[in-house]
Formats: sequence, C-alpha cells, structure tokens
Amino acid sequence: MSDTTPTLASGRPQRPRAQLVGTGFACAICSMMMAGALGFYMARRHASGPHPGHDWLDGLAVPNPQFDYALLTLVASLVTAHWALWASRRRDTAHAWTAIATTIVLGLGFVNMVMYSMNRMGLEIGSGEYQNLAFATTGLALMIVVVGLLYLGLMGLRSLGGSVGQQGSTSLGAAVFFWDFAAFAWAVTWYTVYVVK
Amino acid sequence: MSENTDASTSPGVPAEDPTPFGWLTTADHKRTGRLFIVSALLFLVLGVVLDLLVRLDLTSASKFVSLDVDSFAQGFAFSREALVLLFLIPVFLGVAIYMVPLQIGASNLAFPRAATASFWIWKISAVVLIGAYLGNGGPYGGWANGVDLHLLALGGLVLALLLGSVTVATTAMTMRSPGLYMDETPPFTWSALVSASMLVVSLPVLLGQIAILYVDHRYGRVFLFGNYGIWERIDWIHRTPQLFIYVVPVLGVAAEIVLAAAKRRVFEPIAMYFTIGLVGLFGFGAWTNFAITGEGADIIDGFEGVVLVGLYGGALLGTTGLLGLLGLAVIQNRKLPKINTSLIAAFAAGKLVLVGALVGLIGAAADWLEIAGRGNDGNPQLRMTTWVTGQQSVLIYGAGLLGVLAAIHWWAPKIWGRQLNELLGLLNFLVIGAGALLAFLGPALSGLLTEQPDFVYADPNATSLYADWVDDTGAEGLSALGAAGVTILLIGAVILLLNLFTSIVLKKGAEAVEDPWSAQSPEWMLPSPPPMGESGELPMLTSGTPLLDESEAEEVNA
Repeated sequence: MSDTTPTLASGRPQRPRAQLVGTGFACAICSMMMAGALGFYMARRHASGPHPGHDWLDGLAVPNPQFDYALLTLVASLVTAHWALWASRRRDTAHAWTAIATTIVLGLGFVNMVMYSMNRMGLEIGSGEYQNLAFATTGLALMIVVVGLLYLGLMGLRSLGGSVGQQGSTSLGAAVFFWDFAAFAWAVTWYTVYVVK
Repeated sequence: MSENTDASTSPGVPAEDPTPFGWLTTADHKRTGRLFIVSALLFLVLGVVLDLLVRLDLTSASKFVSLDVDSFAQGFAFSREALVLLFLIPVFLGVAIYMVPLQIGASNLAFPRAATASFWIWKISAVVLIGAYLGNGGPYGGWANGVDLHLLALGGLVLALLLGSVTVATTAMTMRSPGLYMDETPPFTWSALVSASMLVVSLPVLLGQIAILYVDHRYGRVFLFGNYGIWERIDWIHRTPQLFIYVVPVLGVAAEIVLAAAKRRVFEPIAMYFTIGLVGLFGFGAWTNFAITGEGADIIDGFEGVVLVGLYGGALLGTTGLLGLLGLAVIQNRKLPKINTSLIAAFAAGKLVLVGALVGLIGAAADWLEIAGRGNDGNPQLRMTTWVTGQQSVLIYGAGLLGVLAAIHWWAPKIWGRQLNELLGLLNFLVIGAGALLAFLGPALSGLLTEQPDFVYADPNATSLYADWVDDTGAEGLSALGAAGVTILLIGAVILLLNLFTSIVLKKGAEAVEDPWSAQSPEWMLPSPPPMGESGELPMLTSGTPLLDESEAEEVNA
C-alpha cells in the first residue's frame, strides 16, 4: 500500500445492527412467502365460484373458539416476550429467564391448540381443494412460528447464558422482533383461511 | 484454483484449513464466493446445452434432434431453471459475496457461515434437481415422486439464494467502514444491495407457491390436472420483469469498470445510485402477472398492458440514465480509455440491458395499443410469441453472460491472483456477443414475423403444437438462426472456462499486482488475492474511490 494512502484509523468495522437488519430481511422473506401462499389461496377461492352457493369448505365447520383462544395465547406470548426484553435491558436475569420460559411455553401451547383445532375440524389432507390449501398455508404460518420459537430460545440462551449486556439485549431484541412478526403472520393467515375462509 | 490460505495478516485470525472439510465449513467469504462462481459457470454449460437441444428441435420436427412432447417440455423447463437458478443469480451472488466486504472495508460478511450454508444448500439442491429431471421428474415428468422432488429442489435452491442474498444485503448495510456512507459505496456494492433486496422481496413468493403445489401434487392433485399447472405458476421467475432484478449487478459491474477506465467519478453519484435502484424497482411484480392472474383473480386485469409498459419504461429510463452518466464521465476524461476485455464487455452488457428493456417495451406497447392488429382478429399478442424468448436471450446471454465475462476478467486478479489471457478474452467477447445477438434475433423475429407461439405450458395440446411447430412461414429458418446463436454461445462458455483453467489452474496467467488496472475502489488497495482478515490492511474508508482520491491529491501536490 502506498504511503500516501489515507490512514485515518485501522478500525475494524463494527457490526452493531447486523443481526437486527438480518432479522428484518428474514421477516421480509417470510412476509412475501405468506403473501404468495395466501394470494394463491384467495385466487383459488375466487376461481371456485360465487359464495354462497358453492360450498368452498366442503362441509367442514371451523371451530372458531379454539382458533380464537390460540390467537389469544399468541398475543399473551408477545407480552411475555417483551417482558423478557425489558428485563434483559435492565440486566434482570431472573425476570428475563422467567419471561422467556413463559413465552416458549405459551408458544408451544399455541402450536398444540392449532393442531387440535385442525384435528377437531376434520381437516384431512388430500380430501379437497380447501383442505389442501388450508394445510399448506397454515403449515407455512406454523413453520414461521416454530422458527420464531427456536430463534427466541437460542437467543435467550445466548444472551442470558453469559451476561445480559447490551450485545445480548440486541440479540434478544432481534428474536423478539421476529416473534412479533410471526404472531402477525399467523393473525393474517387465521383471518384469511379461518375467518373469511 | 490458486488459493492464498497461507497466513492471516490480522493477529488472531486463523489460516484457513486447506482440506475438503475446510472448504465445507469455511467462514471465509472469499472461498464461498469462489465456490459459487466456479460452480455457476459449470452449470452455465448445462443450461446452454439444454437450450440448444430445445432450439434444435424447433428447427425441424424430424431433422437434427427430435424430442417427443414430454422430453421437449422437460428440456425447456430444465434449461430455463438451469440458466436462471443455477447460473445467472448464483454467479453474481458469488461475485458479491467475494467483493462486497472488500469494497466496504469489512473483515468478512455479516453472517459468513450462513453464506457457506447457502452455497452447500444450493449445490445439494442443484444435484437433487438434476436427479429429479434424470429420473423423469420435473414439472412435466412422468414419475410422480420425481415431480415432488423437483419442487423440493426448487424450494431448496430459492431458500439458498435468499440466504446468500440476506448475507450480502446485511453486509452492505451494516458492515461498511465507519465514515463510508451509503452514497459513497462503490457502484457494484450498491447494485448487489439493490439486487439482493429485490430478490428478498420477490423470490419468496415462489416459496409460498411451491408449498401449495407440493401439497396438492403429493396429496390428491385436487386442482392440479396431472402435472399441467405447475410450470405456468413458476415460470414467472424466468421472465421479465423479474429478469431485470437478476441483471442489476451487470449495471454495477459496468459502472465500476467504465468509471475506472475513464479515471473519473460519476457526474452525479446520487443519480447513479437512483438509476440502478430504478431498474431493480421496476423488476418487481412479475409474480402478479402469472401466478395470481392465472388463477382468475385478475388483480391487474384490464391494466396489464399499461402496467407492463410502465415497468419496461421505468427499466429503460433507469438504464438510459446510468449509461448517460457513464458516457459523461468518459467524455469528461477527454481521451479514449484503454480498451480491454472487461471494458468492452461491460459496455456491451450495459447496452444489452437497455436493449432488453426496449424489447419488452415494444412488445408491451404493441399488445396494449393493438399495433398491427396484435391481440385482435386472432393475432396473438407479442408476449404470447417467441418474442419473449428473444427478450430472455438478450438479458440472460447478452447482458448476463457478457456482464459475467467483464466481472471475471476485471476481478480475476483479486479473486485468483492472476490475470486472464487478454487475447482469449477479446475472442471470448466476440464469440459471446455474436452468439447472444443471434440467440436473440432468431426467436424475436420469429415471434414478430411468423407469430410462432411461445411455449404454451398449460395445455397438453398446445404443448404438442409448439414442440412440432413446423410450417411454411419461415419459423424453421429463424429457429435455426437462434440455434446457431446458442451453439456459438456454447463455444463462448467453453472458451471462458478454458481461459480460467489455463490462466488460473495451469498458472499461465500473469501474476497480479495490487492494482493492475489503476482502478479506484478500495479492494484494489489489498494484495491480490487478499489473505484472510484483510480488513487489518485497510485504512478507515471515507470514500468509495480512495485510490482516485490519492492520485488526485498527488496531482495537486505536484
């Protein structure tokens, strides 16, 4: 390198927001994936004929209370996830651990409730157009939720396993951001597939 | 390929493991970039051979190559997927993975292991894709499990490319050297960021569609009639305007090389970033044409013509603006730059992006305004004819492949530590240029003059009609012109690989110095190729053209 090269500092670039920005891109990917799947769903529903008049659900009855409770569980988990973040920023390890564990339990409970609701509905894969579309779209949304749970658990362990510092809070913040998005993705899917149908 | 793995210049940064396990688990962006580039170039040959088979079949139903309807459809689909998902996107992703950290003064990518994972997922998915086609899978396959396998492989490819794109975009956004603002980044880094961001918001739509197609095909085929229905829903990723997103890095390469040759900054940097961004932006929305409207919910029904004219017009405007700015920089220098392979290939690739946009605009405008009876009285719209194949050819082969030729000749010293053979490079430019021109003209003229239909993917009868398209309108001759072009392109691809092999593997190429081109951007301040942990060598950057700043300061002092 030439001597005249400007050498202001040999500073190694920092990466303070890399994880948060990367998580933002992941949310964008999931958003567009759900948009593609739900767009497909709505287009097929539209193409199936006028409603009412055509039984799009093929005789299936959606158990609304169960799906509503599932959504409420997810909303409750958002509160506990933000509680975990709030606690980690204050270096309150005990509260942060409790909140993350509660979030994960609520998340698993949500997945269980959705599976139960689909089972109760008698949704059988391959038995009709609505069934196949509902399986695919719900499956994608559940996959986002499960990835969010794993991400939250991993970042929780990483940030709390060592010390709850600024860097740890940023990691946990990224995971909580993704969890917020996962809840939103589910809400849109639920409204499209099980409310508007 | 030569590899500088001996030592790290930064304390605490380990030397890379040269064993195969080291390549499998590498956290060095340069290794991952090389893996992507070399693999994508090998897949280019596969894509061109398949395209050649399909085009030869169109020259006559009985001579040369005679494919049955199924084989034709499979070959057609495979060639498109190979050219786009196995060559065009990954090759520029590889260049971006290698160059972006060097251009912004970062020690590595934001998520280097994710980049490595993206390569291996892509590679494994590519092998599965080839296996699915060989086992009579693919969108038109007769083996049901093979069709499912094809969909899974396609999902894997898209996921891998998205993962790679996220690492590149995050790196460009968050890892820049302190003081290097976004409006100072080198043009290639900006184009990589635009392309990666647009891929992130467009390709995932295909993932959602694949999930539904897989479930339906695997379980009952409730709304898919046999295999027909798969290709029409996934083909939008091989068509314009989506193709513009893939060739955005070509504009970055062109800007990088032309400005370095002119030894000038661009007249108005913000305008340059804006024009590159505009081309990416107008590449968005292809999926609304085919995936959604094809299902009956015509969200842009009645407006399709004007929307397409707007998209192509925007891309044309962006490319024209960029080329105008680069032209001004050359004029400002008041003397002709030294001609080399990179420069002429970059210049031609930029022009061909312009041609691609213009071809799209002409087709969309003719359809919309019903010029020469298009879309009326039984005349097919231009976008339903092989005019579209011509446009694909000019963007993939013309802009894409020439852009790759320019990028590889330009950055070979930085990537492999040796320069490529310049004479072979110039010959390569002529061969690829001529091939791309013929590959474009044949189908475009055939669509315009003989109304030869584009591959009609939904209807088995129409597929048969296309595969056996023989009449007295002259379509055969024009198809032969296109086939001749693809044959020449195959020779061009082989010359490029040969040049890489002799110059790099056989070490016939001249050993590169730090900055063999007297270029401007930060990567040329590093050794060729840079060792691991290169950021320790870089000063804090405050400009995307530190070498130009330096030479100007020297001139002032003198």
